[in-house]
Amino acid sequence: MRKFVWIGVLLALVTLVGAVTLTFWTAPNPNQEAFWKPLVEQWNKEHPDVQIEWKTIPAAGSSEEAILTAIAAGQAPDICTNIFSGFAAQLIEEDVLVPFDEEFGKDFWVLVGARQMESVIEGWAYKGHHYVIPIYANPMLMWWRKDVLQELGYDKPPRTYSEVYELAKKYAVPGEKYAMIVLKGRNWWDRWFDFITFYYAASGGKAYIDVEKGKAVFNNEYGKKVAEFIYTMFKNKWTAVDWGAEFALNNLRALGSLMGPWSINWAKENYPDVYNNLWLAPPLVPDDYPTNAPIKTFADTKGLVMFKSCKHKKEAFEFIKWVFSNPQNDVKWIEKTKMPPARADLGTNPLFAKFMEEDPYFAAYASQVGNAVPPALITTTIDVQEAMTTFLTEPLMYLKATPEEALSKAVKEINKLLW
Amino acid sequence: MREALLGWQFSGVYLVYAAIFWGYPFVWLLILAFSRWRFFGKPKPIGFDNFVRLFQDPIFWRIFWNTMNFMAYFIPMVVLGAFLFALALSKVKYFRTFFTLSFLVANVSSGVAYSILFSNLFSETGPVNSFLYKTFGVTIPWFSDPQLALLSIAIIVTWKFIGYYGLILFAGMQAIPKSLYEAAELDGASKWTQFWRITVPLVNPALTTVLVFAINLTFGIFTEPYMITGGGPMRRTLTFLLHIYTTAFQRMNPSYAATLAIVTGALSYGCVILVRKLVEREVHLT
Repeated sequence: MRKFVWIGVLLALVTLVGAVTLTFWTAPNPNQEAFWKPLVEQWNKEHPDVQIEWKTIPAAGSSEEAILTAIAAGQAPDICTNIFSGFAAQLIEEDVLVPFDEEFGKDFWVLVGARQMESVIEGWAYKGHHYVIPIYANPMLMWWRKDVLQELGYDKPPRTYSEVYELAKKYAVPGEKYAMIVLKGRNWWDRWFDFITFYYAASGGKAYIDVEKGKAVFNNEYGKKVAEFIYTMFKNKWTAVDWGAEFALNNLRALGSLMGPWSINWAKENYPDVYNNLWLAPPLVPDDYPTNAPIKTFADTKGLVMFKSCKHKKEAFEFIKWVFSNPQNDVKWIEKTKMPPARADLGTNPLFAKFMEEDPYFAAYASQVGNAVPPALITTTIDVQEAMTTFLTEPLMYLKATPEEALSKAVKEINKLLW
Repeated sequence: MREALLGWQFSGVYLVYAAIFWGYPFVWLLILAFSRWRFFGKPKPIGFDNFVRLFQDPIFWRIFWNTMNFMAYFIPMVVLGAFLFALALSKVKYFRTFFTLSFLVANVSSGVAYSILFSNLFSETGPVNSFLYKTFGVTIPWFSDPQLALLSIAIIVTWKFIGYYGLILFAGMQAIPKSLYEAAELDGASKWTQFWRITVPLVNPALTTVLVFAINLTFGIFTEPYMITGGGPMRRTLTFLLHIYTTAFQRMNPSYAATLAIVTGALSYGCVILVRKLVEREVHLT
């Protein structure tokens, strides 16, 4: 008996001393935490020699800020999720990320194949290498208040700018209620969820920045139509500059807004009235947009990276492979987060069929993953979108410039930044 | 010898504290300002490049004018308000502590909390504008008009500091000997003359303190624009601190942010010196 105790103690010692510990950070979001927690526990139980120390990205102004300060303090995690394209580009330029394709070669491509990511991963290539494993791709869609629209005599949500103008004439009362939320806010990232989404929709998914040439190209016919639309909405007081704390679709100050799938569970919990009365539709398009053509939208997509400071790259990659080559984990991901995993077989793989049937909202988003275009992979995302705010959307919302003036000024300023 | 040792023991604690929490960051700030560093590796010395870039940066000049503009709103408002508060306080006989505390509540409330409160209250669809629209048919774009937004923030900051600055002025007024007023009364001076000839000159030390505080505060505004306007509309509420923060942590450029911090510090110090030169007078109360 005593022998066994000794052996037990020895074994425990060996595992404690010899175990590799990896730090792993994920987004500070309750839904995503609910996904990672049991998964990491399971891995730790099955792999006593490679222990994952999991925590959410520490509270700070933004994930980026927390990660940067951690790196500066020499406390960078080994692997980290919640990395957006622009931040990835910055980190790659600073040479702190592991290029998966170079470091792990065939193993990486096997994983890409196993998770059906061949097409998805293209948008994430940076100078011919892959530094990011996309986790999810969130298309933006319009939410409309079905109940109110039906009362107003609609049997489907508005599709074009003119149809929204018509709706506004019926519904909007300045100072009281408006047709829709057109601009989402003043933060730099808000431009993804308004101007860039509308631009992708109007142009059939054309780039707003020519990354190769380093030039902004959105002062074309499509950009003009979008700017014209934003301007018209503000000029006629069919939309408001700010909306207060309550969700405007709940107090009916607005009937529509561009929203991401991450808001589904949020609305379900906080605004059941909205959740139970929704029409989901692609972003609005100009009047002359062909009726049978698919409507493109913006993809808010985040991924996972490995830092070069990681001492146990092989073990870390084993963990990544273990998580993402098992489609059951993506099933759990959908259950917990309601966000479409970045894989191409959501519509075809029977594993996901139950979500597509059960949850029409999820199905609406998942079916648009193929139409969703990721943002331009540039290192100056923040400055570019800050300039877009200052020189394009703000002059339009405060009626300080005509759409043409605002567009050409914004492009000029952004080109200065890109050059 | 023993005395010297005792002295070192007393000051040692402070010296160590200052070296760690003041000296080290300060040296690091200087190193950063003269180099290029983006969180990784070692800072690369680049001489005065950051400073050259700074003075050519249109955003820097935009913030500079915003700050001047803010002072032009804030300082007259807060000084006048604080003066009135102090005068009123010296007139009331009862509940003085109650009034003082009520004004100080604003000063101790959380910046984040009242920023959210104000931004909801005064938003375009908020209760104030809804009321105005229903009664008068107009709305006031408190935070969405470029010029008005800066004034609105100045008003919020004034609201926060009237009680505190007023108390400093009140203490200054209390220190003025009553006999001076009695003598003036006997000589037939009106209350108005007494205020301008006795109160204002003799409260000068307190007034200078208030002005220095107000200037330092102006260069350190962060919470209100960060929470309410995000620096907009049209960058009109962008402040030095806000820009330093976003430059360091969002644009990943801590060395340029360090340069900005040094220039901001120098500017605020310059303003303080200037005001002291213009306002401060020697005052003998006895």
